[in-house]
Amino acid sequence: MSEELAYARKASGLVRGLSMTDAFAVGFMNQGLTPSIWVVVSLGLGVFLGGNLIYACIISAVLAGIGFPLVWGILGGSMPRSGGEYVYNSRIIHPVYGIAQSFGDAAIWLMWLYVLAPLAVDPGLTMTFNYLGWTGAANWLTSASWHTFLIASVLNVVGFLFVVFGIKIFARVQKIVMFFGIGGCALIGVVLTITSRASFTNKWNAAAAANHGPSYHAFIAQVGAQAGQVMPTHTNWGATFGTMVAMSWLFAYAYSIAFIAGEVKRPDKSIIWANTFAIIVPFLFMLWIGIVLYRTVGFQFLNATAWNDNNGNTLASMANMPHGTNFIDLAVYSLASSAVWAKIIAAIMGFSYVAFTVWWLALSYLAFPRILFAWGMDRMGPKWFTDINPRFASPVKNHILCLVLGQALLVLYYTLLQNTMQNIVLTGMQITSVFIPTAIAALWFPYSRRAKGVWDSSPYKKWKFLGLPVIVWGAAVDLVYLGILLYEFIGHNAATATFTTASIELFAGVWIAGIIWYYAWSAYNKSKSGMDISAVTYGELPPE
Amino acid sequence: MIKLFYVTDIHGSNVCYRKFLNALPIYGVDIAVLNGDLLGKVLIPMVAKAGGGWECHLMGMYTEMNTEQELADVKKIIENAGYYWVHQTREEFEATKADPKAIDKLFKHQAYMRIQEWLELADERLEGKSHEMYICPGNDDWWEVDDMISCMKVIKPCDNMVVDIDGHEMVSCSRSNPTPWDTPREESEEELAVHLDELCKRVSNYESAIFNFHVPPHGYSLDLCPKLDKDMKMSAEEKIHAGSRGAKQVIEKYQPLLGLHGHIHESRGAQKAGRTLMINPGSEYSEGILKGVIIMLDKKKVKDYVFTQG
Repeated sequence: MSEELAYARKASGLVRGLSMTDAFAVGFMNQGLTPSIWVVVSLGLGVFLGGNLIYACIISAVLAGIGFPLVWGILGGSMPRSGGEYVYNSRIIHPVYGIAQSFGDAAIWLMWLYVLAPLAVDPGLTMTFNYLGWTGAANWLTSASWHTFLIASVLNVVGFLFVVFGIKIFARVQKIVMFFGIGGCALIGVVLTITSRASFTNKWNAAAAANHGPSYHAFIAQVGAQAGQVMPTHTNWGATFGTMVAMSWLFAYAYSIAFIAGEVKRPDKSIIWANTFAIIVPFLFMLWIGIVLYRTVGFQFLNATAWNDNNGNTLASMANMPHGTNFIDLAVYSLASSAVWAKIIAAIMGFSYVAFTVWWLALSYLAFPRILFAWGMDRMGPKWFTDINPRFASPVKNHILCLVLGQALLVLYYTLLQNTMQNIVLTGMQITSVFIPTAIAALWFPYSRRAKGVWDSSPYKKWKFLGLPVIVWGAAVDLVYLGILLYEFIGHNAATATFTTASIELFAGVWIAGIIWYYAWSAYNKSKSGMDISAVTYGELPPE
Repeated sequence: MIKLFYVTDIHGSNVCYRKFLNALPIYGVDIAVLNGDLLGKVLIPMVAKAGGGWECHLMGMYTEMNTEQELADVKKIIENAGYYWVHQTREEFEATKADPKAIDKLFKHQAYMRIQEWLELADERLEGKSHEMYICPGNDDWWEVDDMISCMKVIKPCDNMVVDIDGHEMVSCSRSNPTPWDTPREESEEELAVHLDELCKRVSNYESAIFNFHVPPHGYSLDLCPKLDKDMKMSAEEKIHAGSRGAKQVIEKYQPLLGLHGHIHESRGAQKAGRTLMINPGSEYSEGILKGVIIMLDKKKVKDYVFTQG
């Protein structure tokens, strides 16, 4: 039946402008790709030696690929508003719960600024400059703490500028960043794909001979000696699950779509598909890179490079080698040429890391102001949280607040609290403050009396599997995935080394601050307007 | 102090209208103003299939209904989304489709039936209650709607007139500046500016006045919407100001206490223009969400306002 069985009249009124592709882009760009693969290999494998990247990738993609799109897609399609998961949690469970976890999320988006801006500088810019042969510039970046701080601050401001002038500039820059980011990552994959194991070994050995570095086999042995353990030659299943924690960077972050859900056309379909594709694409890249890394550089050698990179590339014999040992460096060793074309290809690969990382900063500037905007609309904050600048069509005041707070955190990070702040594990905070609370809300959604009206009018109400609503299955799968991550995070000795009490205190403190914030604003609103604001902002009206 | 509840652009949505009526006692509202657009935009023919059952296109998807229950479910979805439905045979559908006047007639018939149902429901539910309720159409609404509103017992019309709301003079205008859709109540910017100025001159005390214009003023944050290309497709990247320059002119000239606006669904917000607080509560009628704003009004000031959604 291709004939349109409907009549339409001329009438005005637009609501939603973003397509599924736009939503996918926002979700996918928050998965990071190149820097996330770097985290997977260097941090994941570097901590969990013997983890199998391919198995971890497949398990993560299956669990996250089922759980996340069902949870975030169904919640987003049922409540298509742009305030992030705060909207879902406050409506399904309770406003206090929503504000408390949203405080956690807002803090996380801010804290990513001090984590990511320095990473964009080192290793991002340093390796890119090195690939171009600009060793002086690369060395300058890390020769003094204030140099790194200065450039990180510049990148922080750049991220702010990409967003503050409205969605037009944001969308255009995003396309460019996507082009270079995905292109650079694809180049890494291609270079590793066309390089054989023998060729890589020869090229590594040639570079080692020329720079007084360790040979392929010597490197494995020396890293093993420094690590105090023989580099593994086979898959370790426990470590494979551990690697999944780092791999969550690639699969769990498309939830940023929740911050634009109110602007997406056909939200009932677009949000769920955008979430799905934003997991499938990183999965394909990770699978590809994982396969070719094992094939080209070898299982044991890859473990050694990961350990070395994660431990600061401190192997004495590597001092004169031209590059480090992260996965992009391995692709550059595979090029083994000092020709201009090789430098350009290497620089594009390195720039891919920088581009995605800087874009993460921009996404913090997208999300944090929208969280405040959503609070403001519910009168959980000052009225200026909802101010939209008529020239740029964006909440400029919230953006500026985000810049000021982000910059303040960068100053703290580079001055007083570097050790403390380094040890706050944001992935853990994201799991406990955002992903698990929202999965619980999704699990409860069909049975929530508070959100009965929303569920009754949800387009997914009739989606059932084995008699249970599909969102319940999605939430259950999501919780299994998040449970694995949390167990590995807290339960594994290697991970707990960085999971300090400062992290736990911060997580709890942020939630408590959120609870205080809720009651303080409720009391203020009641004194000002004489009415219980939460009843008119969070409550559902009977539809009959 | 009075509590004024303002909602706009429900575009035929049954669920939003019923939520609106239910909100009055739940929110403890003294005065409710339902601003246009009131009418829906799409009419779905439920075409009888040769072998039994019905077929239609709902939100771009071909949908078949084989049982009475399925038919009832789809009708409810249609009504809640602000659409209308009509039963037709294949022959009736073909004949109607080929005749724009027949489509127009059918549309009006269905739209007026829905409005009549709404008005009667309001009269039934509000009679003897303390809530006052005003309705003002919008630029999408055919002029006949005004006659229907003026015939009701409890609901009061307010378009193109000045009404007294607990000491506040409220002047209302349903017309808009030109839109890309050539809707029933459009005027050129010049004509609209003159019309609004004439209307506003009837107000005696601007200090406490309310300007209830369907269109928001141009150039503020209440009239931002996606730019349309020549094929009427929305740009995801570029927003433009679509409000009225005439509305901006009179608000800046007369500086009323409060400006109430709609028209641009996605520009929910509040902004000051001099001493005037202007509010657009936005609309998400197609999702069945009733967006509105409660304004606490003192004699000469807006004590507070709260955006609502339910």
